[in-house]
Amino acid sequence: MADAWIYSRDAGRGADMAAEVAELGYAPRIVAANGSLRPLDDQGPAGRPPDLAVVIGDEAVCGRLRDDEVFADVPILLAMLPEDLNGGGVPMTEELVISPFTAAELEARIARARRQLGAEEEEGVVKVGSLEVDLATYQVTVAGEAIDFAFKEYELLRFFVTHPGRVFSREALLNRVWGYDYYGGARTVDVHVRRLRAKLGNEGAARIKTVRGVGYRFDR
Amino acid sequence: MRADAQYVMRVVEERGVRFVRLWFVDVVGALKSVAVPASELEAALLEGVGVDGSAIEANARGSERDVYAWPVPSTFQVLPWTSDHRTARMCCDLRTPDGAPFAGDSRQALCRVLDQAAELGLTLQVGCELEFFLFDEKQEPGRPPVPLDNGGYFDLTVQDVVSDFGRRAIEHLEQVGIPVTASHHEVAPSQHEIHLKHTDALAMADAITTFRIVLKEIARDLGLFATFMPKPLDGLSGSGMHLHLSAYEEDRNLFFGEGGDPFGPRGAQFLAGLLAHAGEMAAVSNQWVNSYKRLIAGMEAPTHVNWTRDGANALVRVPSGRPGREESARIELRSPDAAANPYLLFAMVLAAGMRGIERGYQLGPEAPAADGTPSLPGDLGEATELFNGSEFARDTLGDRLCDWYVASKRSEWDAYRATVTDFDRDRYLRWL
Repeated sequence: MADAWIYSRDAGRGADMAAEVAELGYAPRIVAANGSLRPLDDQGPAGRPPDLAVVIGDEAVCGRLRDDEVFADVPILLAMLPEDLNGGGVPMTEELVISPFTAAELEARIARARRQLGAEEEEGVVKVGSLEVDLATYQVTVAGEAIDFAFKEYELLRFFVTHPGRVFSREALLNRVWGYDYYGGARTVDVHVRRLRAKLGNEGAARIKTVRGVGYRFDR
Repeated sequence: MRADAQYVMRVVEERGVRFVRLWFVDVVGALKSVAVPASELEAALLEGVGVDGSAIEANARGSERDVYAWPVPSTFQVLPWTSDHRTARMCCDLRTPDGAPFAGDSRQALCRVLDQAAELGLTLQVGCELEFFLFDEKQEPGRPPVPLDNGGYFDLTVQDVVSDFGRRAIEHLEQVGIPVTASHHEVAPSQHEIHLKHTDALAMADAITTFRIVLKEIARDLGLFATFMPKPLDGLSGSGMHLHLSAYEEDRNLFFGEGGDPFGPRGAQFLAGLLAHAGEMAAVSNQWVNSYKRLIAGMEAPTHVNWTRDGANALVRVPSGRPGREESARIELRSPDAAANPYLLFAMVLAAGMRGIERGYQLGPEAPAADGTPSLPGDLGEATELFNGSEFARDTLGDRLCDWYVASKRSEWDAYRATVTDFDRDRYLRWL
């Protein structure tokens, strides 16, 4: 079941939102406003983010989620009350839902939040220069020539092409692509990047930039 | 079905793969392959494929018959040099009918040691320089092979066929996910070397197994043959499998030293373990009768158990890493030859290093070979008996695998001892 974390300083509003997202099939967890971005009793493997973050009224939390690479793939929905919008100061970056709302609207807003992340490309073909990655069939071509990848190589390439222009640390890539219980260290990422570069040829290889001391970035 | 298995099924369908070769090795590292048509792949992934277990014990055949090869989906790779038939390969785990690991499976022996290392928070990265010889396929029977060229170290060869070989080799290796760095002549004529960039130990063992078959297939296409025989020609250097080892504890490279030290304290213990067990390991690092003809003085191959920072002949060389570049810090184990079973070798290398750390072995001083250091076994017979009596080897690889291995090696050694060679006749026939 998909996890939804609800960030709320108001226990009552948090509980109401938990009930709403539970109706949509999410497993809600309330994150107390104690400064942490994770639930207090988080039993999951370290670093695992939720599938959805609903932030009640607090734009600063949205900013912190945006800046945390662990949450790179997490759709963020900001829920506000009409009185929060005093003086027309509408947040411009987050998908927004204003109470009262219907279940159908909430679902639509979540879908829009997902869309902002480019998550809707899951079934499409990503084209970057001469590189084409068909996300539905796993087929990759460079200048029309098929390239054959092992599973994790493909998964890493897919992550890169669907998250262009952003720097990810090795740890974040390890978490996102290998999963949270994978053992093997950050060197695993370097090794797979090297294999990707060897297979992609010069143009594709050059798009996977090493950001020294930080990690990797895929350039469109 | 797991995501990686689903990926395999989908790629096979999309790419029109007709056969998947299921790969595993016997106890001496020789590649065995069972081809499964695409239509039977799903069953192979879900239920394994029956193979004859006696094939895995090399020339010591017998006891265990029922073994199943279970393909490991993460190793799935389309083989680009078979474009007309669209073939892929997967490496396999070998299991008994009740699903337990088969005792003779080298790959799982390595996996077991890797798991033990993981419990200590330790991982091993391996880079590898593999040497080999290329000869013309047409050779006079009973005569030593004739070298292709006389290109010296770093010389460019004039023969197009050799450069064609090198180009294809790099291309094919990179297409199957084995990044390589350089290819040049080693000191002997006809000898070549390819560097496999460092990766985790299991991936490197799979890569070496793949590498050897890829090079043999390319050579055959060009009317040549590639050999990983440790010492094919008299008086010339043999073919090594130099291992560049970096051991990581979490994200710390144990061979990255500070303040002028060549490595950290636990790196020193790891190295001490490697040296302490090098003799027992010889039957694996140098597993053939011919291997010991490479390990002789004056050929840049090690003969003694020693380490140095600058000597060319030491068992372990500690290259001066680039200052401040932790990932380049490593030690180089120089004894293994190109025809070793990489799975068993890496299992023993890592287990030896772990023993050094767990039991706090003390590293002796840096020393050239002449300096009273113990010598490596002089021949396969000596190495096999050392291995057979080694508690370390049995603890690392398991009694049954060790017993099979010893049986295979004793039979090779006995056959050799029973053979009257050219050496005997040249030296004694007229003289005595």
